[in-house]
Amino acid sequence: MEEFASELMSQLESKVSFIIPIFGGIPVATSVVITWGIMLFLVVLSRILVRNLKMVPTGPQVYLEAVVGWLNKFFEDILGKEGKRYSPYLGTVALYIGCANLIGVIGLTPPTKDLNITAGLAIMSIFLIEYSGFKAKGAKGWIKSFAEPMPLLAPINVLELIIRPLSLCMRLFGNVLGGFVVMELIKLVVPAIIPIPFSLYFDIFDGLIQTYVFVFLTALFMKEKMEHESVKHKSERL
Amino acid sequence: MTLVAIGAGIAVMTGIGAGIGIGIATSKATEAIARQPEASGDINKALLLGCALAEATAIYGFVIAVLIILFLK
Repeated sequence: MEEFASELMSQLESKVSFIIPIFGGIPVATSVVITWGIMLFLVVLSRILVRNLKMVPTGPQVYLEAVVGWLNKFFEDILGKEGKRYSPYLGTVALYIGCANLIGVIGLTPPTKDLNITAGLAIMSIFLIEYSGFKAKGAKGWIKSFAEPMPLLAPINVLELIIRPLSLCMRLFGNVLGGFVVMELIKLVVPAIIPIPFSLYFDIFDGLIQTYVFVFLTALFMKEKMEHESVKHKSERL
Repeated sequence: MTLVAIGAGIAVMTGIGAGIGIGIATSKATEAIARQPEASGDINKALLLGCALAEATAIYGFVIAVLIILFLK
């Protein structure tokens, strides 16, 4: 138990890969380095895949169009016509979290296991959520939206500014960490063969589900902030 | 050490609620899809949202349990 706790603790700490030797040394965490790797991978992939696109798609372009079209349609369905402009950001976040969760398969530590990364993503999400409300309704309407459905609930609406990013952050972090801890326990008991199906579930299935849930919830909160009082009843049914 | 383990066990009991909640949500969703197969896309979306929110409580319990094991020795 003691050993396992210390082993877990060492896995949990955000390890420092190297230190930039300026301003007295800036430590760079492993999760940041892996994030750079994912960024490079995605940039290179998007450069390669969009080379010589054709009117009639052939080869990899077919799959590319299917994926991008699916993402755009997914966000447009939730956010509606006026929210279409946010789909590039949400799609990027989806691609990043998807890659970050799946990177455990090739033996690297998923960056989403670092609480700082998920906290950063959640804070960006809450800023975007509030911005979308601000943009759609203007300053007055945005402030008024805190007093909906009645002024008595205003404190709860303000509290949601903290609760929403906290729960987004903890959900992603907790799921990745939970899968990781369970996998470690299984590997401790049976080191071979048996972990494979569990790894399929925890690394691939759960990772993709959490990606979906993260962007889906962000988009849903944005829609809730953007919509006006009159159309609210229509979308209540989801 | 024993007390710490017991405390972590109690914290993980939040999973009971999440399990019951997700079970109820899934059973209703299957019923709904059986009744209206053409609406399965919308039902799946609502189900995933409900599951994510119900699961959050279990995750909080789990995070608290890990924190208990790691920081109370």
